[in-house]
Amino acid sequence: MNPVLNALRQAAIDWRLVMMGTVLAVIAVVFNVLSGGLFLSAENLYNIAQQTAVVGVVATIVVLVIVARHIDLSVGSVMGFVGVLIATLMYTAGWHWVPAALAGLAVAIAVSLYQGALTAMLGVPSFVVTLGGLMSFRGAAFLVADGKTQPVNDAFFQRLGGGYDGAIGVTPSWLLAGLMVLALVAQTWARRRANSAYELPNNPPWLDALIVLLPVGLLLAFVAAMNSYQIPSKDAPQGIPVPVLIWAGVALVLSFIVHRTRFGRYVFAMGGNPEAAALVGIPVRRVTLMLFALMGVLITIAAIVSIARLNAGTNSLGTSMELYVIAAAVIGGTALAGGSGSISGSVLGALIMQSIDSGMLLLDVSIGMRYVIIGQVLIVAVVFDVIYRRVTGDTV
Amino acid sequence: MSSANTKQSLVELHHIGKAFGGVQAVDDVSLNLYAGEVVALLGHNGAGKSTLMKMLAGAYPIDSGEVIISGQKAHIRTPVDAQHCGIESIYQTLALADNLDAVANLFLGRELLTRWNTLDDRRMDAQARKVFTRLNKNFKNVRTPVRRLSGGQRQVVAISRAIYFNAKILIMDEPTAALGPEETAMVGNLVRQLKAEGVGIFLITHDMPDVFGLSDRLAVMKNGKLVGTYRTSDVTEDEVLGMIIAGKQPEGKAQTHSL
Repeated sequence: MNPVLNALRQAAIDWRLVMMGTVLAVIAVVFNVLSGGLFLSAENLYNIAQQTAVVGVVATIVVLVIVARHIDLSVGSVMGFVGVLIATLMYTAGWHWVPAALAGLAVAIAVSLYQGALTAMLGVPSFVVTLGGLMSFRGAAFLVADGKTQPVNDAFFQRLGGGYDGAIGVTPSWLLAGLMVLALVAQTWARRRANSAYELPNNPPWLDALIVLLPVGLLLAFVAAMNSYQIPSKDAPQGIPVPVLIWAGVALVLSFIVHRTRFGRYVFAMGGNPEAAALVGIPVRRVTLMLFALMGVLITIAAIVSIARLNAGTNSLGTSMELYVIAAAVIGGTALAGGSGSISGSVLGALIMQSIDSGMLLLDVSIGMRYVIIGQVLIVAVVFDVIYRRVTGDTV
Repeated sequence: MSSANTKQSLVELHHIGKAFGGVQAVDDVSLNLYAGEVVALLGHNGAGKSTLMKMLAGAYPIDSGEVIISGQKAHIRTPVDAQHCGIESIYQTLALADNLDAVANLFLGRELLTRWNTLDDRRMDAQARKVFTRLNKNFKNVRTPVRRLSGGQRQVVAISRAIYFNAKILIMDEPTAALGPEETAMVGNLVRQLKAEGVGIFLITHDMPDVFGLSDRLAVMKNGKLVGTYRTSDVTEDEVLGMIIAGKQPEGKAQTHSL
């Protein structure tokens, strides 16, 4: 057999991810042509990255929830509830943003554990528990401040949401990019060495080089774009927006959890075969509870970013976000039947959705038409998923 | 084996009972197993043999009766308790997480960790390859999800668990049900090898050649009750079928609870 093909076959490459990346690139190019070069302008890319962050953060954890054969429909409502709560503590009660955020975190974890306990301990389907939560916590979001909008004025806090001062500037952006590149190279280097030490097969050098250079190129291109966007009234370019940084941090931490910890492995085992997971002695209930607790943490992060972005907590915060989040996970290759999905997939899924939405906005497509198309994109993604699994023989 | 009567049992099940709702799935069953012995467990579907073994493996809580392992009373309430007693199981349904690869499945629930408490994938990978090749020299695709493996390879993964973690007591629930002739022979050889190493094996099966080819004793269950326990060499296939189908004890054959 051709050695190149053979190496590609043996390497643990996630071909779905490659395909989704290609789809995203095609979407970008098509919109760029249709919009006369507006889509790939630095300003538009900056806005897309920043707007996707909140959905992206929540999508990373929803992937794991779906992988474990659960669902969370309450994410938007809980985020609204927690967001209004934090804003109220800051504005009406006059708290500093740190204790306010910690109080929000405590409430979010309590809410998630309550829903998680009903699911894990009593075996109530998470669909039902979180459908109830979808309504209840939207109501709670209203009750917190009696439906009044709570402005957020803290200058530092506002930067967490991006916006005018919410980016880290040119030099730190390049520094961070450099560190990431070094980390990627070092990681690949360490993997090759450890594989040799254990006499495990390595990818051919050219393939590993390609696997490292591709993301490095994308990363550098992204940072270059962020660094070339300058708000006209400012005297320096923006650099990487803070929400994007938070999103990237969340995605890295969750990827680490998935690949390097027992907890991550157990979540996938439970999704692949719940019966087997119990038979080999995995503490299924505890893992489920921990999963929901983690959900609470990430919802708090998302809530902070969105109220900082809007400069206010309103009772409608996060309305119908659950749909976008689940759609991002599914477009990113997460199987609703459980057992398969990836964090990087959810990142691409969220970007694909936001790109289509914002591309249509640039082309002046009406709001009704946009909903119609986004909905159909979701269906296309699932149809693709079904066909892909049939072709590759993955029935799960 | 004249010393068998004085030898200590590896496992003693005393008056074990289990009810699901109103159905008595296992009713006052007593059975023992010696080191280096294969006891075949027979009966119709629903006779209670799998339920009995799942209790020993910690998958179901025991309603009544007691389990004694190497002379000591054992409290088996979870699969982890059973693993601590040296009990490993190979289930009919294989109990593999289909979406994970062979290495992850081998170590599932008992992962090797680095000193930072993260998964030590490379050490697991290297160790797993050793065990797998011991059972099947051609087993190379240890990093693909097990759902893409053949029935024989999947069975290798399941059996590897028992070998890697040094099972003293092995429960095999229809280990050859989904296998071709070559793979069945592989399982047979493995049973003989483990037996020679002193592992005690409960073998649940419907396959008469397996029963007469591999087991030292056989126990037949019907409707949750034990029909009888006999030395395999003492009974004929017809008599065994009579026990399974009609619950009829063969005339003039002595039951035995020793080797």
